[in-house]
Amino acid sequence: MAGGTALRRSVYRLRLSWKLTSLNVRARLEYRVEFALGILAGILWQASVMVFATVLISRFPGLGGWSSGGVLLIASIRLLSHAVYGVLFANVNRLHAIVQEGKLEAFLLRPLPVYRQVVLHQFHINTFGDLAVAVTLFSLALRRLALEWTPFKIVFLCAAVVGGALIEAAVQTALSCAALRSPTATADWTGWLDHTLSTFGNYPLAILPGAVSGLLTFVLPVAFIAYLPAAVLTGTYEGTLVPREIALASPCAGVVLFLAARRLWNWNMRRYEGIGG
Amino acid sequence: MNSKSVPVIAERLTKTFRVAHRSAGFMGGVRAIFRPTWEYKPVVRGVSLSVQPGELVALLGPNGAGKSTTIKMLTGIVAPTTGSVRLCGLDPHRNREENARNIGAVFGQRSQLWWDLPARDSLVMLRDIFEVPAGEYRERLRQFDDMLELSRFWDTRVRHLSLGQRVRCDLAAALLHDPAVLFLDEPTIGMDVLVKEQVREFLRHQVAEDGKAVLLTTHDMKEVEHLAERIILINDGEEMFEGGVAALRSRFGATWKVHVTLSDAVGHPRLAHARIVAREGARVTFGPRPEASAPLGHALKEIINAYPVSDVSTEEDSLEDIMRTYLGGAAAARQSASGGSRMAAR
Amino acid sequence: MTPVGAVATIGRLCRITRVTWLSELLEPGRMVSTAIQVGSQVFLTACLWTALYAHTEVSAGLQEHQAVGYAVLAVLASRLRPLSRDMAPDSFYRHMREGTILYWFLRPLPPHRYHLVRALGDQAHGLLWVLAGYGLCTTAGVVPLPDGRWTLPAFLVSMFLGQVIVYQLSLILDLLCFWTVANSNALHVSHFVQSLLSGAFAPLWFFPGWFTTANSFLPFQSTLHIPLSIYVGRIPVNRVPREVAVQAVWCLLLWLITRTLWKRAESRVAVQGG
Repeated sequence: MAGGTALRRSVYRLRLSWKLTSLNVRARLEYRVEFALGILAGILWQASVMVFATVLISRFPGLGGWSSGGVLLIASIRLLSHAVYGVLFANVNRLHAIVQEGKLEAFLLRPLPVYRQVVLHQFHINTFGDLAVAVTLFSLALRRLALEWTPFKIVFLCAAVVGGALIEAAVQTALSCAALRSPTATADWTGWLDHTLSTFGNYPLAILPGAVSGLLTFVLPVAFIAYLPAAVLTGTYEGTLVPREIALASPCAGVVLFLAARRLWNWNMRRYEGIGG
Repeated sequence: MNSKSVPVIAERLTKTFRVAHRSAGFMGGVRAIFRPTWEYKPVVRGVSLSVQPGELVALLGPNGAGKSTTIKMLTGIVAPTTGSVRLCGLDPHRNREENARNIGAVFGQRSQLWWDLPARDSLVMLRDIFEVPAGEYRERLRQFDDMLELSRFWDTRVRHLSLGQRVRCDLAAALLHDPAVLFLDEPTIGMDVLVKEQVREFLRHQVAEDGKAVLLTTHDMKEVEHLAERIILINDGEEMFEGGVAALRSRFGATWKVHVTLSDAVGHPRLAHARIVAREGARVTFGPRPEASAPLGHALKEIINAYPVSDVSTEEDSLEDIMRTYLGGAAAARQSASGGSRMAAR
Repeated sequence: MTPVGAVATIGRLCRITRVTWLSELLEPGRMVSTAIQVGSQVFLTACLWTALYAHTEVSAGLQEHQAVGYAVLAVLASRLRPLSRDMAPDSFYRHMREGTILYWFLRPLPPHRYHLVRALGDQAHGLLWVLAGYGLCTTAGVVPLPDGRWTLPAFLVSMFLGQVIVYQLSLILDLLCFWTVANSNALHVSHFVQSLLSGAFAPLWFFPGWFTTANSFLPFQSTLHIPLSIYVGRIPVNRVPREVAVQAVWCLLLWLITRTLWKRAESRVAVQGG
């Protein structure tokens, strides 16, 4: 009986999320030109990576001990997980705008968890652009790498993509807690975080000095998003700061970090003080 | 008393905000990062109130008095520093999701509707969010349409609606799931007269026929006169007054005048509730007795029974006059007191 | 204009340019985050290009220190006209949307001069950041110092012309707001295109021949690619006059376009009224 109700609730929640999303898409479609340009802008935004990748492939033999195909693999895993993040969690870093517009208070008066409402409150058309670029890069990488694809590797790849999305979501969620108290200041740092993840996440961290690469592995877990999973897939472990076992556990890092970030978020949400008079 | 029977009950609510103190200029900003100092601002200092089903209570007070914060505590958006709130028996802050079905809210300045889509799409979405059965939804929408004429504009995009149209849609959205309690924050601000009257009629219906408990904040005194049975006056975070409109009048020394035209010259019987203030031939003006301020209704009855009256008109201090006098007095008192006592708490 | 009037005008203009400075200075948090953002990007760029050249001596005519220098300077130069102004409450786009652009035409200061003065303020503010960054980078050895007597002066002239072209291009984009309902996505697209074609993503020398040929017919490479190539020595001094002449021609052409657009805009505002 309890199981049946739980199943019904999950189905109901999924259907509600679907309805909310389609409502938001319809709202965006109101501005058709902006919609089309949004997709284009998304493609181009990530295509700066493509530009660099093209330069890299055509002129240089590799980067930091990685072949050009390997670097493309890192970039494409990162972009794939970013696209998954974009579909599922992207609005988390818009919390500062939601708070400032007073929308958060409307969310608090609805019988739905606030986090879910934040995540569903807008639909990002850019995500399709991200996905297109990610798939292109991935196919380029595959062509250049002579990898043998075992079933384990395929499963690991999927898990790593999801894990990477969860890490990005965890980091952005943790930052957005600050938006509940000082929304204006958080806006700057959100942009910086986005920027850092996308620039440093696309390249093998071996090219950076050890201290920095350590920062980006243990403080801001950028390495676990794409670099370490790609290391597992290609077997290139020099330059990574963690042993092979930990690199294999990258997807788990995503789950653990995300749960921790959600806890932090809920804790902060309970202490929300409201805005204005 | 079974707390479930009283939709809203709040006891000794206080709210103190801790604000980072930041002096002006660049150095101030730098100092704030490295050595932050905190200020404690008490915004609500002990407000207790309750709203019964089928009752409309008006929350009055100057800006910054703590009205919005009180409402936020009542709706569960913010947790009180001390004190307790029960909404239909639940703690609105702790049981937020469950309690959301008991609350409807309209904040005059901010709409909860989706901006780029027709209003009706928002209502359908809210129906799904609140899990309103289809039959009930249709019936309620028909009712709202009857009273607020929504069908004229519910297919227009919300961003193209006028203020009056948008607030009417917001009202429908707030009441779609039949909540027990309705919170209204300045709902008729900026509306034209006809729409205001329509909304007031609608609210009266919700209170009287549907038995909802309604808490209304407003600056529009006419609205208070027309709708509110009870008034709670908040100033500086404290409750200054609670009671009916008549009690408010007598408490703040409101006066009235009755102008009559006598059809016959008569003697002057002594009245209990009124006395003659002026007379000019057949025109006599009565005012309240200084010792016992009687309500206008009683005095009027007495005058008409005692005198042969061919014409009568009454004049009463409007609530606006009362508020103006009260607030002016309070501001003056605060100015004279601020010389010594008030310092920001460290 | 009398000398007194001229001084007063200059004083007024200086005060107008201060607006951007003041709002930035009053937010130490924003300055810190900007510093960190620029710093981390410069750092990554330097590491990236150094690593790329680990096994290569020369590529596309650029040696390692030239490529690194070019890339880092490109990052710094992009701070001169940051996109963030579009998000500021007083950006041109916002003014158009909310109709407050009307006030520009009612002030004693002609609107095109006001636009220019505000832009100068922004650019001057960005210049401080650039100079600070430049000082740090040359000290750290990331950016090479210019060699040869004429390299630095040639670079400065070319850079100045490049910045004029940058201003004119952004002005044209702003002015197009009068005719279209511009939106932030269009701005993002144009920003990307400009960055790509001016060499901000990767030095243009690395791109295939057809790309660079087509690009030479556009003004974008005059904004960044030419000055930076002069600085790192990729364009020898004897070829500088030709490149600078091309830049000057673009300046003139764009100036003519902007003048025409301003006139049309003024007449359009007069027609549409309040």
